[in-house]
Amino acid sequence: MKQIVHSFGDVTVLNGVNFHVQPGEVHALLGMNGAGKSTLMNILAGHLQATSGAIDIDGRSYTFSSPRDAKRAGIGHVVQEVDAALFPALSVYENVLAEQIVEQPNMLFSKMNKRAFVLQLLERVGLAHVSPDALVQTCSLHEKQLILLARVLSSSARYIILDEPTASLSEEETKRLFAMIEQLKAQGVSFIYISHKLHEVKRICDRMTILRDGTVVYEGDVSLPTEEIVRHMVGRQPETRNTFAREKSEETIFEVKQLYIPKTKTTVDLAVRRGEIVGIAGIVGAGKTELAESIIAHVNTTGERIVRGKKQTWTSPKDAIEAGVCLIPEERRKQGLFMNETVEKNLTVRLLSNISKWQWINKRRERTIATSLISSLHIRPSSPTALAKNLSGGNQQKVVIGKWLQTNSDVFLFDEPTKGIDVHAKEEVFSIIRSLAEEGKAIIYFTSEFQELLRIAHTIYVMVDGRFIKKIDAQEATYEQLVHDTTGGDMR
Amino acid sequence: MKFLYKYGTIIAIVVVISFFSITLDSFFTYANFSDILRSISIVTLVAIGITFSLIVDGFDLSVGSTVSLATIASASALVLHRQELFVALIVPLLLGVLVGLLNAFLIIRLRLPDLLATLAVMYIINGVQLTYTKGFSIYNDMPLPEGGTAPGKFIPSFLFIGQGELFSIPFSVLLMLFVVVCAHLFLTYTKFGRLFYMTGENREAARLTGIPVDRYRTIAYMISGLFAALAGIVLASRIGTGQVSAGASLLMDGVAAAFIGFSVFGAGKPNVIGTLLGSILIGVLLNGLTMMNVPYYAQDIIKGMILIFALALSHIVKK
Repeated sequence: MKQIVHSFGDVTVLNGVNFHVQPGEVHALLGMNGAGKSTLMNILAGHLQATSGAIDIDGRSYTFSSPRDAKRAGIGHVVQEVDAALFPALSVYENVLAEQIVEQPNMLFSKMNKRAFVLQLLERVGLAHVSPDALVQTCSLHEKQLILLARVLSSSARYIILDEPTASLSEEETKRLFAMIEQLKAQGVSFIYISHKLHEVKRICDRMTILRDGTVVYEGDVSLPTEEIVRHMVGRQPETRNTFAREKSEETIFEVKQLYIPKTKTTVDLAVRRGEIVGIAGIVGAGKTELAESIIAHVNTTGERIVRGKKQTWTSPKDAIEAGVCLIPEERRKQGLFMNETVEKNLTVRLLSNISKWQWINKRRERTIATSLISSLHIRPSSPTALAKNLSGGNQQKVVIGKWLQTNSDVFLFDEPTKGIDVHAKEEVFSIIRSLAEEGKAIIYFTSEFQELLRIAHTIYVMVDGRFIKKIDAQEATYEQLVHDTTGGDMR
Repeated sequence: MKFLYKYGTIIAIVVVISFFSITLDSFFTYANFSDILRSISIVTLVAIGITFSLIVDGFDLSVGSTVSLATIASASALVLHRQELFVALIVPLLLGVLVGLLNAFLIIRLRLPDLLATLAVMYIINGVQLTYTKGFSIYNDMPLPEGGTAPGKFIPSFLFIGQGELFSIPFSVLLMLFVVVCAHLFLTYTKFGRLFYMTGENREAARLTGIPVDRYRTIAYMISGLFAALAGIVLASRIGTGQVSAGASLLMDGVAAAFIGFSVFGAGKPNVIGTLLGSILIGVLLNGLTMMNVPYYAQDIIKGMILIFALALSHIVKK
């Protein structure tokens, strides 16, 4: 790929990127969130059309106007969310041949004539033990990934994009996947390997390209020291230390012990003190949201939760909230807001008991509370009757937070609270969080934007694959160190 | 378009009434209006129940057969078992609540899709009332299979519900207005009502906000069954017999009324006042069509078209 430029509106996300993959190599594509990796791969797979630039494959020049064009040119794409690309109620056979079935000219589709072909493909990806007649929904995640790989190979792809392939795999499955990659590599297939896990990149990849802000900053061997790789990915970061007093009391207000996270099948221990902001740093897929939802009992889980020294049993978020623990969820539109209701109703939903007598809501008091929250949080538009769906992302987030401010909550869980909101709103969210801490509330802040933790957290836990691998005092943490740790830089 | 959405139902009611008044001599009379209101009162009760299930983002197809069951239950209590008014009221109401609980169990505990679960329950309940009556209606002095005639009869106090008048207004209409006002106040001004809407609006957000969503959904289905049973009592009292499958046609009328109600005054969500206007529109239309000698089976075509129109209108405006 030569001199690829791509812009969304006024924003240039790829700035003349050159990307070379040789036949029979595993090539890592690295970069922080927003560096342009996904855009580049979407262009290569035909999902997006580059503003300018050229794609040459084996000496021939191509312009892809659809994913189909890319497939015909030998590009395969194994997406991260494999379930989105498979048909769960159909057999392995039909899933592997999905592209052939679409492309074949005649209407009738014979199951038998390609059986040998499918068996051979399954064997190539190490699924010889899986029957072609099994339904995909009965397969494990690892098997589904390989089925998708088999499908990609069915159209004789020679360049295969693997997007975060090990995100949900166990150590054993990862090993098997790597063995598979080695084998196919020997057969002349090339891979483009996208991952945040640097230790895996070093294990499986031959060369790498590092993107930063839409520009290639490094191309070459993977034997570069991890510190160097991180430095390339991160670039020169402005030193954004926080300036506010990091005072916290010694009183532990909330604690979880051996809390089980079902999605990652791990357990964690965590404690927060009054006035403390605890940061949970982890890349996307590290299990942060799953941890937050386990703490709040939104998912079924086991483990001890201790609030102000008292052991608690929670079976639903209602129990957590009554004990004073609340969650500001990551997906604010889906999980945090009543989009078709007014700002006022969103803000007062937890306060209805205070403002109603015999169930009857005192609308004047409701209005008073809503207006005071709106003005103290600077929610725009400032009308309490505006519908939540008509607010900007930042203002919506303030509404979601505002819902809890006048409740008796002592522990606030923030899951990626600055996702998709503008710089100004971000600052406002930070100042709300700080003033909560100053009031003596405890904050647990889950994020993959590590700079934010350096600015506001007291203590940082590093989360990798559903486990805390490190606990650092935020004073001593550096951005490079966090990137290094969260990408599993220390792991073998 | 917005204007048509907000006031379309009211305009349609006015247009339909004026049209029938001009073309039919006997339409714009007190007797006829009182008749229309009586039939509307039954549909409205059913439709308000449906409105509750819609508010929590559910659906209840079993209301029609619950009406039938309640009709049979009160008739049986009076005619076959010679019970007093209290029993003839409480038994059908309890049965209605039980049907609601069954629906809630299937939908919330077993996580069956609401449409399919209530469809199945609709058939079961319909089968139950047919089995119980062996397919025969229950009426005064009916002959019994074991010889003789039924011991009881429809007592006047029971018949008053569907046939009596207070201050020259049919009692069933007053009952309907009372229920409409109560349900409206409950849903608009109380904490309970607010949380019903929140549950339906975004179940996950509601759960994360600490609302016991399963409890609210269960209550909504119970209310739906309760109101269907109340409609069944009024129906039994109005016709003075326990007719089998009497409520079957009320499902469609109720669903149409509730969906027409979405749009009234631009609410954009299920609401009781809208539901009332929806059922008035359907009631007036059906009455006029009957008077114009449009056969009842052809009226189904018109009902279906009204529902499609109401759905399409709210869908277009939402976009």
